[in-house]
Amino acid sequence: MAVKTTTNKMKKRINFVLACMILVGFVGLIFKLYIIQIVEGEKYQKMAINQQMRSTSIRANRGTIYDANMKPLAKSATVHNVVISPNDIKDETERELIAQGLSEILDVDYEMVLERSRKTGSYYERIKTKVEQDVADQVTQFALDHDITAIYLEEDTKRYYPYGSLASTVLGFTGSENQGAYGLESYYNKVLSGTDGMVVSAKNAWGTDMPFRYQQIYDAQDGNSLVLTIDETIQHYLEKHLETAVAEHEVHNRAVGIVMNVNTGEILAMATKPDFDPNEPLVLGDPQVAQAVEELNTEGNEEEYKKALSDAQFAQWRNKAISDPYEPGSVFKLITAAAALETHTVDPYNEVFNCPGYYIVAGRRIGCWKHAGHGDLNFAGAIKGSCNPVFIQVGQRLGADNFYNYLDLFGFTSPTGIDLPGEADAYLHSLETLQDKNMASLSSASFGQTFKVTPIQLITAVNATINGGKLMQPYVVSQVLDPNGNVVSSTQPTVKRQVISEDISKLEATLAEQVVMATDGSGRKANVPGYRIGGKTGTSEKIDAKEDGVVTKYTLSFYGFAPADDPEIGILVALDEPEDGSAYGSTIAAPVVGSIFADILPYLGFEPEYTEQELAVADVKAPVLVGLKIHDAQSNLTQEGLKSRVIGSGSTVVRQIPGVYEPIPKGGTVILYTDEDTEPTTAVVPDVVGLSGMQANQTILNAGFNIRIAGESIENTASQAVSQEPAAGTEAEIGTVVTVTFTIPDVEG
Amino acid sequence: MTKEENVKKPKAQRGPIDLTFLILVLLLLTIGLVMLFSASYANAYYIMGDSFHYISRQLVFAVVGVAAMIAVSYFDYHILHHFAYLLMGVSIVLLIVVFAMPTINDAHRWIFIGPINFQPSEIAKFAVVVLFSHWISIHYKKMDTFQYGVLPFCIVLGILAVLLILEPHLSGTILIVGLGAVMMVVGGTKLTWLVGGGLAGVIGGPLLVLALGKWDRAMGRIEHWLNPFLDPRGDGFQTLQSLYAIGSGGLMGAGIGNSRQKYLFLPEPQNDFIFAIVCEELGFIGAALIIILFALLIWRGYVIALRAKDRFGTLIAVGLTTQIGLQTILNIAVVTNTIPNTGIGLPFFSYGGTSLLMLLGQMGVILAISRQSNLEKE
Repeated sequence: MAVKTTTNKMKKRINFVLACMILVGFVGLIFKLYIIQIVEGEKYQKMAINQQMRSTSIRANRGTIYDANMKPLAKSATVHNVVISPNDIKDETERELIAQGLSEILDVDYEMVLERSRKTGSYYERIKTKVEQDVADQVTQFALDHDITAIYLEEDTKRYYPYGSLASTVLGFTGSENQGAYGLESYYNKVLSGTDGMVVSAKNAWGTDMPFRYQQIYDAQDGNSLVLTIDETIQHYLEKHLETAVAEHEVHNRAVGIVMNVNTGEILAMATKPDFDPNEPLVLGDPQVAQAVEELNTEGNEEEYKKALSDAQFAQWRNKAISDPYEPGSVFKLITAAAALETHTVDPYNEVFNCPGYYIVAGRRIGCWKHAGHGDLNFAGAIKGSCNPVFIQVGQRLGADNFYNYLDLFGFTSPTGIDLPGEADAYLHSLETLQDKNMASLSSASFGQTFKVTPIQLITAVNATINGGKLMQPYVVSQVLDPNGNVVSSTQPTVKRQVISEDISKLEATLAEQVVMATDGSGRKANVPGYRIGGKTGTSEKIDAKEDGVVTKYTLSFYGFAPADDPEIGILVALDEPEDGSAYGSTIAAPVVGSIFADILPYLGFEPEYTEQELAVADVKAPVLVGLKIHDAQSNLTQEGLKSRVIGSGSTVVRQIPGVYEPIPKGGTVILYTDEDTEPTTAVVPDVVGLSGMQANQTILNAGFNIRIAGESIENTASQAVSQEPAAGTEAEIGTVVTVTFTIPDVEG
Repeated sequence: MTKEENVKKPKAQRGPIDLTFLILVLLLLTIGLVMLFSASYANAYYIMGDSFHYISRQLVFAVVGVAAMIAVSYFDYHILHHFAYLLMGVSIVLLIVVFAMPTINDAHRWIFIGPINFQPSEIAKFAVVVLFSHWISIHYKKMDTFQYGVLPFCIVLGILAVLLILEPHLSGTILIVGLGAVMMVVGGTKLTWLVGGGLAGVIGGPLLVLALGKWDRAMGRIEHWLNPFLDPRGDGFQTLQSLYAIGSGGLMGAGIGNSRQKYLFLPEPQNDFIFAIVCEELGFIGAALIIILFALLIWRGYVIALRAKDRFGTLIAVGLTTQIGLQTILNIAVVTNTIPNTGIGLPFFSYGGTSLLMLLGQMGVILAISRQSNLEKE
C-alpha cells in the first residue's frame, strides 16, 4: 500500500531545510531585532521622539516681554508652515493646481512648488514657513475648495516687536526656530521658551489632534513672561535724544545711553543708536552703513560683501552699554573724588591748589583742558571745573593701593553681572602698574584716562558716589510671570556693598550739583529750570585710535543725576567719535542729558520747583536759534529759562516761534521747526476772559500757546482775566504769545 | 503506477487533525487580528474616516477563512492532483491579465474584479506547490536526472519569474523561486544541480532584472537599504519610520495600543510594516515570542509533512509550510532593514482579505494532510 511513502532521503532533506530556516532565518531575525531594540534602541527612540514631539505638538508659546507698565515690547503670535505631501497628490492636474494656487496665495515661485510636488514618495515638503493666520486661512480654503488632501498646515510661532527698534539692543531677537539669539531673548531663553510639546501622543504626523484618549507624558509648558524695569516712555525719550545727537554731531561709532534708578539699580532705559529693528534683525538699521555695504555687492565680490554684511549685522546687534569698554574720562573724577573724600585725603573747601594749565608727571607735561589754567582753586572747584592737575595731585596723594582698592570696591574689577548677555570686562591697570614709582599710570587714571570700563560699570559706580554710598546690582528684569500672569519670581534691589559713607556721599552730591547748577559749572548745559540736577562731564581720548601718536578721536560723555538733593535718577550718555573732534562732553553730551531730564522728570512725577529767580515774571527776548543744532538751541533756551518743543525730524532749527527777539515770558515754550517744508501748526486762541489766573494759564498752555500776564498779580487767587490779545477765536500759530490782562475785582461788603 | 490509480485510491481514513498545528494557526491569527486593529485604527480614522475600516473587513475574512480551513481539512488532498496543471495555467493567464489592470505604486500586481481584488502571485505560489508536488510524487525516481529533476521546474519558474519581474514584483519573484528551490531540494533533485542553479541564480537573477528594464528601480531600493538616511523624507522614509518604531519598543514595548509611530508617521502600518508596530508595542520580548510562534508553526508543518501518508502529502505540506516560513522571514527582514524594501506581507498579520482567506484555506490543506498522517509511530 505505502508504495509512495516518504523516503528517508526526503526526510533528511526536510530536516535540513527546517534547520536552515530556523537557524539562518528565525534566529538571525531575533538577533537583528536584539540589535535594533536593545543595542541601538535608545538611538532610534530618541529620533522617534524627536519627530513625534516636533510634529505632534504645538510649540510652547514663547512668553511676552513687558515694560515696567505692562506694555508688550516682544510678543509671540501663532503662524503656520505650509507643507505638501507629494505622495498624496492624485495626478498631474492636481499637481499643477497646487503649484498654481500656492504660488499665488503664498507669493512663492510656481516652478519651485511644482518641482517639490514631484518628489513622489515624500510625505513632507515645506513650501513656506511662518505664514500669518489670514494667509493660512486662504490656503485652507483653497484646499477645501478643490478637495486637495496633500496640503496641510503646521502650527508655529513668530515673534513680534510692536515698538520696532525700541530697546532693540536690550531685547535682542529670536532666530528662525524661535530660539533667543541675542539680548534678553537669549539671556532668558529658557524662561521665555517654556517646554516644547511633550504631549507626544496628542498629535499625529499631520499635527492635528487625535480623537483618542491616550497616555500623556508631559504637558507642553508655555514660556514665562518677563516684566522689565525698562519704561517704554523713558526709553523712547532716551532714544529720541540719542538719535538727534547722533544726527547733530555725526557720531561715527554709535551713541549709548543708560537711565538708571540710583537707589535700586533698576535700568529704566538703555539704548545704543543707531540700532536695528528686531522684527527684521538682518536688515541694517543705519542707512549709511546699509548703503556702504550694498556698494560692495557687485559681481565677483560676493565674499567681501558677505563678510561686510555679517560684520555690520553683528555690530548693530551689539549692546554698547555692556559690551564696549571705553575711557571714562572726567566722569571718572567722581570716583577719584569719592575715594579721596572717604579717605580724608583732601579737604574739599579749605585746601587751595593751583592749576597753571598743566602738571608735570615723570617728566611729561599733562595738560588741563583749560589751557590757560584754573588758577587758584579748591577741590570743590576742581570738580566743578573738571581740573586735571588738581586730580593728578589728589590721585597721587591717594596712592596706588587706595586707588586700586576703590576701583575694586566700586565694582570695576569684574562685570556688574547685569542680567544681559555679552557683558565685557574692564581693561584696568594692574596694581603693580599703578604702584610704579613714576606714577604715570596712577596720574592719568585719576582723571579717567588710559583705561577702559563699560558704561554699565561706570554708571553703577558713579551712582554709588551720590546715592548714599551703596553699590547697587543693576538689573533689567523685575518680575517673571507664569502664563497665567502669576508672579513666579521678582527681583529685589540688591546692595552689593556700602562703598563710601552716607555723609561723604551727600557731600559728593552737593559738589557734583555745582557742576550743573553753578553759572560757571562745566556741566551747566545740562541744567533744567525747576529741577536740581548734578553731574559730571567727560571728554575721553581714544588712545587705541591714535593717528601718528596724536589723539584724534574722542568719546564725549555726561553723567547726570536728579534731584540733586535726594538723587533718584542717574543718566549716562556717551557719544563715541563725534565728527567735531574739538568739542567737549560739556558742550555736546551735557545738553543731551539735560533734554532727557526735561522730558522724563515731569513724566516720573517730579514737580518742578522754580527758584525765585526762575519765577521772576519777566519777558525775555527769544534768542537767535535758527541755524543751530537742536541740542544747542535747547541748551540756549534753557539758559534763558525757556522751554522748547521740536516739530519735524531734522537736526537743525529752520524756523522758530516766537521769532527772533520777540518777547516771551520766562518759562515759555519756543516752537522749533526742523524741516523747511513742514506746514506751521496752528490752533484757535481760546477764550479766557473771566477765568482765574490759574485757569487762564492752563487753558492757554493746553491750546499750545504761550501766556504773558499783564495787569494785577495773579498770585492773588481772586484775580480775573479781563481782556486778551489776540482775541478769542483767532487762528494763530502755536507758540504765539497770548497776552492776558488780569484785574482783582472789587469785593463787596 | 499511473496517475489515475493514484487518485482513485480508496477513501482515506480520516484521523483527527493535528491539534498543535491548529492551535498555533488560531493563536497567530488572533494575535494578528489584535495587532492589525491596533496598528490600523489611526490610519483608518484619518484616511478612511472610520477607525474600524480595516479590522472589520479583516474580521469577516478571518471568520470565513477559519470556516473554510475547517471545511478544507475534511477533503482528501489527493484531489489536488487533478488541479495541478489547471492552477498553473490559470496563474499564468492571470499574471498576464494583470498587465491590463491599473497600477499601484507604478506596479501591476493587483487584479480588480468588482469589490474583490487579489494578487495573482498568491495563486501562483499555490500553483507552484501543487504542480511541483504532483511532478515530484510521480517522477520521484527520475528526480536525479536533468530531464525530469531540473528542466520542467526551471521552465515553470523561469516563466513565472519573467512575468513577476515585469509587474514588477521582486519580492514575489524571490519568494516563488525560493519556494520552488526548496521543493526541488526536498523532491530529490541532485544537489550539484541545485548548487549550480543557485550560482546561476545569483548571476542570472540580476541579469534578468537588467534585461527586463527594472535595474534602476532595484538599485534604488538597494541604495536606500544601505543608507536609509539618504533621503529621510522621501524614499528612505518608510524604512526609517519602521526602525524608529522598532527601536522605540525597547525590551518591554510601549504596551498594546500605545504605538506612537502608527499615528501617520509609519505609512500604511496595517500592511507590510505591521511588524514594526508589533515591535514598538510588544517590545523585543513580544516580538521574539511571535517569531518563535512562527518557528513552531513551521516546525509543526514539517512534522506533518514528515508524517504524511505519502510523498504527495509530504510535498504539499512542505511547500505550503515553506511558503509561510519564507514569507515571514522576508517580511521581517524587510521591516528590520536586513534586506531591501520589497513589499511582502506578514502572514496572519498584514491586512488583506483574499490573501488571508487563501492562507487559511492552505492551512486547511495541511490539516487535511495531518488527518491522513502516518501514525506508525504512535
